Amino acid sequence: MEIEEIIREENKVYCKPELLEQVHMHYCPGCSHGVIHKLVAEVIAEMELADKTVGVSPVGCAVFAYNYIDVDWIEAAHGRAPAVATAVSRLWPDNVVFTYQGDGDMSAIGTAESIHAANRGENIVMIFVNNAIYGMTGGQMAPTTLIGQKTATTPYGRRVDLNGHPLEITNLMAILDGTCYVTRQSVHTPGNVRKCKAAIKKAFENAIAKKGTSVVEVVATCNSGWKLSPEKANQWMAEHMFEKYPLGDLKNV
Amino acid sequence: MPEPGETQKNMKEDIRLMKGNEAIAHAAIRYGCDGYFGYPITPQSEVLETLEELMPWETTGMTVLQAESELAAINMVYGGAATGKAVMTSSSSPGISLKQEGISYIAAASLPALILNVMRGGPGLGTIQPSQADYFQATKGGGHGDYHLIVLAPSTVQEMVDFVGLGFELAFKYTNPVMILADGIVGQMMEKVVLPEQRPRRTDEEIRQQCPWAATGRLNGRKRNVITSLELESARMEVINHQLQARYREIEKTEPRWEEIDVEDADYLIVAFGSIARIADTARELAAEKGIKVGIVRPITLWPFPTEAVNKAAQGKKGVLVVELNAGQMIEDVRLAVHDALPVEHFGRLGGIIPSPEEVVDALCDKLINK
Repeated sequence: MEIEEIIREENKVYCKPELLEQVHMHYCPGCSHGVIHKLVAEVIAEMELADKTVGVSPVGCAVFAYNYIDVDWIEAAHGRAPAVATAVSRLWPDNVVFTYQGDGDMSAIGTAESIHAANRGENIVMIFVNNAIYGMTGGQMAPTTLIGQKTATTPYGRRVDLNGHPLEITNLMAILDGTCYVTRQSVHTPGNVRKCKAAIKKAFENAIAKKGTSVVEVVATCNSGWKLSPEKANQWMAEHMFEKYPLGDLKNV
Repeated sequence: MPEPGETQKNMKEDIRLMKGNEAIAHAAIRYGCDGYFGYPITPQSEVLETLEELMPWETTGMTVLQAESELAAINMVYGGAATGKAVMTSSSSPGISLKQEGISYIAAASLPALILNVMRGGPGLGTIQPSQADYFQATKGGGHGDYHLIVLAPSTVQEMVDFVGLGFELAFKYTNPVMILADGIVGQMMEKVVLPEQRPRRTDEEIRQQCPWAATGRLNGRKRNVITSLELESARMEVINHQLQARYREIEKTEPRWEEIDVEDADYLIVAFGSIARIADTARELAAEKGIKVGIVRPITLWPFPTEAVNKAAQGKKGVLVVELNAGQMIEDVRLAVHDALPVEHFGRLGGIIPSPEEVVDALCDKLINK
């Protein structure tokens, strides 16, 4: 039998998303980016938005997101994706615009751009991958790093007196009237993967309906930066990160 | 506030009296600008204010947005430019410093954009009075990496209008950012100006045709467009840099612009740009009354600098006085142009003080004639 005879539409239970490129990803084995990319690709395809979606990629591990998801992309400077997305959204109101950012991008260097785009209620989706560390540059402290967490720049553990508190950027975004949907998800169990996909879908629906800004934070792992195995990283996340960054909707209007 | 009929869809050619900053706003609308993203800073806030008063989003559909910072504004420009739209921003010296990261990205990604700098005294927070001390920043970089902005220096309110049109034309011709380097004088002064007839904004379809590289959404299953400036593979990055350099060589060959006044019979040259060139021109007349023959070379493109023109104009002259409101910036390009074959001296006031034509004549005498 030819492969086309075996893999028929009616027999298909699962397949690689059509918008996920057939290339080797640079992400570490165990990284949450792989799953999140898959969900974004599936949502865009299912909603038939591939021809009017523009993604804005960050500086961070996901800088190469434009190699993996088959839509038009604009690579933004570190933290500036929401500003870039603002212009694209205003100038092309019939397009769907989303940013895909890490915790340094969104809550350190990009804090002002994140908050003000959301405050203006730009009709965009912000996907915020929070793994409490700077992965790409070698595992340094992020604003969302937990107290006591060891990183390359907090080798003895983050201290409040030196580095302040973990920044609940998503909570700040939920306060703003410009946001319509702010939620925290994860992709470490099948059930959470399904919920996360539904959240991303809702966010894209909001953008199309021009309801304002949607923020989907995905609490994620960085087993390389955390120096744990992928499985242990998932455990550590469940044990420690959900306490500070609880899953669920912070806002859904 | 707008005059009746001022915000109609198809504005005819019009003659008005207005400030340079206001003229920029009117010109942006009439030249079919798609979006302006700016932030208040003295002495150029009137650009954003005038645009907000004229409400072009109701007539031409132009987007006007006050961003949360100059940094956000330039990144909005980058985003708009990445989609092939005709977008611009304006600021003044300290705000232009904030924009340097974004400018480097726009240049690196080969995108068309227009940036206006209405220069004020620096460095640092400086003063709100006029200066020309951002010449180095505009022409030698400002942002990181090997890139160039095309830099236009207006000396009249009319040129403020004309250079918006010329700026967008050059930006799209070369897919390169263009800077209008004005000073606080031409930004704030009022002059009679001819506003061009309204040019319609391009449709989305026209943009897709003109800019097939733009990230406008992957219509009809075309291959995706990625606007980026990242290339980790050194061999490929070198090729990209050579492509940028080739473009700059082309611009240097084709686009230098300058003005000459009474150069042929002159004994001495004054080289000046922007509104200072007008003071230099009056100094030329005063010098003529004293029997001193002075010619003026006014570079209009500061990059590409009219090197050949300055060299040619300096042939047979006894000296060159470079008059600029800074501690000596353009003078370096003048000295390079004339290969130091004749004395080249600098005269400038700092801190926002504007010299009188008499001071310029005195400087000419002190530094060149009586030496």
